[in-house]
Amino acid sequence: MDITFYIIFHINKKYIDTEGYDNVNLSIVCYNFSIKLGGEKLKKYILRRFALLIPVIIGVTFIVFTLMFITPGDPAKIILGESAPAASVKQLRDEMGLNKPFLVQYGTYLKNLVVHQDIGKSYVTKRPVLKEIADCFPATFKLASLSMIFAIAIGIPIGIISAVKQYSWFDTFSMIFALIGISMPVFWMGILLILLFAVQLHWLPASGFSSINHMILPAITLGAQSVAIITRMTRSSMLEVIRQDYIRTVRAKGQKESVVVLRHALGNALIPIITIVGLQFGGLLGGAVLTESIFSIPGVGRLMVDAIKMRDFPVVQGGVLFIAITFSIVNLLVDLLYAYVDPRIKSQYS
Amino acid sequence: MDLIKSVLNNNSKKKKSNQLLETWKRLKKSKLALVGFVILIILFLVAIFANVIAPYGYAEQNLKATFQFPSAKHIFGTDEFGRDIFSRVIFGSRISLEVGFIAVTIAVIIGGLLGAVAGYYGGKIDNFIMRSMDVLLAIPQILLAISIVAALGPGIINLMIAVGISSIPGYARIVRASVLSVKYQEFVEAARAVGSSNSRIIFKHILPNVMAPIIVQATLGVALAILTAAGLSFIGLGIQPPTPEWGSMLSSGRGYIRDYWYMTMFPGLAIVITIFALNVVGDGIRDALDPRLKN
Amino acid sequence: MIKKKMKSLVLICTLCLSVSIFSGCGNKSSEEVTSTGKDSLVVATAYDAKSLDPHAVNDVASSNVMTQIYETLVQLDDKGNLVPMLAESFKQVDDVSFEFKLKKGVKFQNGEEMKASDVKFSFIRASKSAPIAHIMGDIDINSFKTADDYTVSFKIKTPSTGFLPSLVHTGGSILSEKAVTSAGENYAMNPVGTGPFKFISWTKGDRVELESFKDFHGDKPKFTKMTLRVIPEPTNRVIELESGGVDLAYEVSSNDISRVTENSELQILRVVDNSTQFLGFNTKKKPFNDLKIRQAISYAIDTTSVVNTVWRGVGKVAVGPIGPNVKYSDASLKVHEYNVQKAKDLLKEAGFPNGFKTNIWTNEKKERVDMATIMQSQLKEIGIDAKISVLEWGAYLTGLAKGDQDMFIVGWTCQTPDPDMAVYAPFHSSKMGAGGNYSYFNSPKVDELIVKGRTMKDSDERKEVYTEIQKEIIAQAPWVFLSNGEQVVGASKSVTGFKPSPFGYHVLYNISYK
Repeated sequence: MDITFYIIFHINKKYIDTEGYDNVNLSIVCYNFSIKLGGEKLKKYILRRFALLIPVIIGVTFIVFTLMFITPGDPAKIILGESAPAASVKQLRDEMGLNKPFLVQYGTYLKNLVVHQDIGKSYVTKRPVLKEIADCFPATFKLASLSMIFAIAIGIPIGIISAVKQYSWFDTFSMIFALIGISMPVFWMGILLILLFAVQLHWLPASGFSSINHMILPAITLGAQSVAIITRMTRSSMLEVIRQDYIRTVRAKGQKESVVVLRHALGNALIPIITIVGLQFGGLLGGAVLTESIFSIPGVGRLMVDAIKMRDFPVVQGGVLFIAITFSIVNLLVDLLYAYVDPRIKSQYS
Repeated sequence: MDLIKSVLNNNSKKKKSNQLLETWKRLKKSKLALVGFVILIILFLVAIFANVIAPYGYAEQNLKATFQFPSAKHIFGTDEFGRDIFSRVIFGSRISLEVGFIAVTIAVIIGGLLGAVAGYYGGKIDNFIMRSMDVLLAIPQILLAISIVAALGPGIINLMIAVGISSIPGYARIVRASVLSVKYQEFVEAARAVGSSNSRIIFKHILPNVMAPIIVQATLGVALAILTAAGLSFIGLGIQPPTPEWGSMLSSGRGYIRDYWYMTMFPGLAIVITIFALNVVGDGIRDALDPRLKN
Repeated sequence: MIKKKMKSLVLICTLCLSVSIFSGCGNKSSEEVTSTGKDSLVVATAYDAKSLDPHAVNDVASSNVMTQIYETLVQLDDKGNLVPMLAESFKQVDDVSFEFKLKKGVKFQNGEEMKASDVKFSFIRASKSAPIAHIMGDIDINSFKTADDYTVSFKIKTPSTGFLPSLVHTGGSILSEKAVTSAGENYAMNPVGTGPFKFISWTKGDRVELESFKDFHGDKPKFTKMTLRVIPEPTNRVIELESGGVDLAYEVSSNDISRVTENSELQILRVVDNSTQFLGFNTKKKPFNDLKIRQAISYAIDTTSVVNTVWRGVGKVAVGPIGPNVKYSDASLKVHEYNVQKAKDLLKEAGFPNGFKTNIWTNEKKERVDMATIMQSQLKEIGIDAKISVLEWGAYLTGLAKGDQDMFIVGWTCQTPDPDMAVYAPFHSSKMGAGGNYSYFNSPKVDELIVKGRTMKDSDERKEVYTEIQKEIIAQAPWVFLSNGEQVVGASKSVTGFKPSPFGYHVLYNISYK
């Protein structure tokens, strides 16, 4: 969904050579590759990644805290309602510690987070923030997973075929199709799908999230964005690999074309695709706010937007933190998978 | 000394003009990219000459002519206030392009500077800047935009700022990677040997190399900015009436979609076509710049 | 080799994912009520409840659920008269004293019997609650006397005729002392009342499930299961109604009404409610402190066309501060005249022949934004250049309390049957600013009338006082009255026994299927 989450970028051969790789022409530049990796063991690498998470988390809490602080609107007033007497509002503000200076509030929050692992209670429902998020996460997780499955199931095959049949009608059509997927606003597509499948055809329910039937339309809507990205990525990655010498060698050996494509080419091409899939998935877990709104899905995205509107600071904080950590973990897993799968990188660790 | 300097200057100049021509030639080869390019030019022209092209004002209400289907008088029909949708879509092109470009410009300038500084100076500065970028990246983009708009208040300018800020990390990374890749090349070392100051090196030698991936990312970024702005309008944040922003037109038309489909169809198509064109041109530039696809 | 390993890895991952997703669904779909058999009721509502503790919130969405679970001491009959509910009989002893005799043998949903101690507990707790302070805050907590288990009497601090009728609000619900004290902070998610339906589960943002209460003391409901689903998109609510996914859809939008009425399997039920949308002036700020300016703008706005365009037949054009279904609403009032020339003349007289620049604040509610948009263009005709600021609700409330606004669009709902609530907070000088009087309206005459009206007993004289109040407020023009809302509910044709309430939250337990 979010293109800025990754960058497709040529790495100058000279730069690669200084790091000891060769022939890695198409790569994803993640910050980990900017750390000099020469000779470190895998375990140390993981620990280091986790250690690096901590400043990121602190940074995230700081930014969100600051944003919430400067946002006009008094949570006490919103919770108590318009008719509440001013004295009660002030009392509630004191109870919530809202009248203390910024640093004191932030410090208290951090202390609770680090020392007690407590991310507070929702201002609105008084339930623990963790419980609020835990209630919403399954829906978001299911939606993200289904969307990814849909995107992969469609994106990769189409990408492969387009690469193999480059410049054919199929290729052009599939590229245009993929592009439309990225170009269409998610909420418009959602509404159109509802109109077509729920209203006109009566095949699928229009909203809610309680059975598989309910999940199909939202998954398609959300997945459409990812399909486009994955298709294009698969195609370009395959194109890269197909041109390699070793593919020519395998063909010369007399292997069937399907074997050449599926086993040898795809295997090597999958590497950047996995990375993209991982990043996309992580991004989707961040809450597909718009999709959840249209289909009335009680997920994390909706929780966050409502919390922002209600100035429910603990939920916003906790939610963003949760999403950030999840995303970082997914990132880490993808990098590990990448490293695990590519022997050239793996050799760096052993 | 001067001889070396002049040689360096000439080299970079020739490189630039050759690069540009070559890129343009390769871009022309892709038909799809050309189509996209043409669409973008038309879009620009429409935005610039909106006053002339649009038959009505974008805020002209006619409460007796609401919800009219497309007709000769109103090519795209009228909305719930009797305003001509065609005119609103035309003027909307201005808003969308403005939002897209300004948001991206904010991101490119700030992100680019941060990335350049990080890549060039390395060490602790690099670490600090990139960790900060990670922090920004860890927050889902749309949530960040929503928070910023909630904090700053409604309005198009704040919308641009919100979208711009959330896009900064991407550009920081690109520029930094570019800088890193070029930092150790010989001509930079030569320039330093000759005594060029750091900033001179950055601006004269490094930046031209960085332009390419930035342009690619920027075209896609404009597309993303337009979509994010539309998304924010959909939630109800950002655009003040009667601004004819395509996303907010989609949003306000969605309640009527079953009876008056044209209220969402035309702004929706406008968004799709614009973003399609931007993506296709972005891809085209990227492919044109890729030395390995020369054959 | 690598590819094999990777492929199997991918396969395992996909399998795990699928298993987790589909196993999760399996459980859900078997227990959930998707179709509407005769024994269940599914309702599509627009917002999720905030809490099921009547003392924690004051919003329609929460009341929608709570009114099925809890009961109050008194209720309104079809004609709007106060009749017993949990109280067998009630008496207003004097200006400030009330006595209630409770029904015997009423069970709470946790098995306990309702006693006077529960009423005392509930009301004391209610009086301390900020969100309903305007209804229950005046109770004197030291005045409670429980002569026996079924008799309770108490006093309020200042005389108010509106107090007794306001007890029908969910804020006056009777809670089980035992349930509240044992649940502590979790009470909001585990409500216990005496009403016909008891709480089963609440999936936040998705639905609330209720089940009929076997030991309910009154007429048993004609169906067992009740589900209140949250579907924020108006289009989707009607789509679900059409497809049979729900039996009732609340807040049907104006453009879907004809779709529902023309559908032979559906029906529309509507009632004008007690909410009033208005354009308020900040009378503390120049030039709105000048009556002529306020009158000029009132003449310049064609409220009829604003309401017709935006609301398209839902609701009515508002003519005064007291809605048509509230007691003592003056039915003889007419829509404010639309006269552009008069407006211009008044502007000139006030010293602004060329108009001036100003601001209209509103929140992001579409109808308000739309009304602002039309008014903006109508004001342009007399030279007033109004910029619209769409503020997000939180920022809006804060700004209004501070008094930075020029003109603002907001709504006010009279949540009790008594007209006092319609005028006290919005217009009494003691409530200026954060109290609810966002126009900073300060008229000693109106103040006096309001105080007088709230303590008088229902009578012709009281009616006259409120007629006078309405007349005076209209003359002083702190507001341009825009529209009264309307509750529009779509239902399946087989649903009977449902009557939407002007308070915005509706009783569902009387429903039966034809």
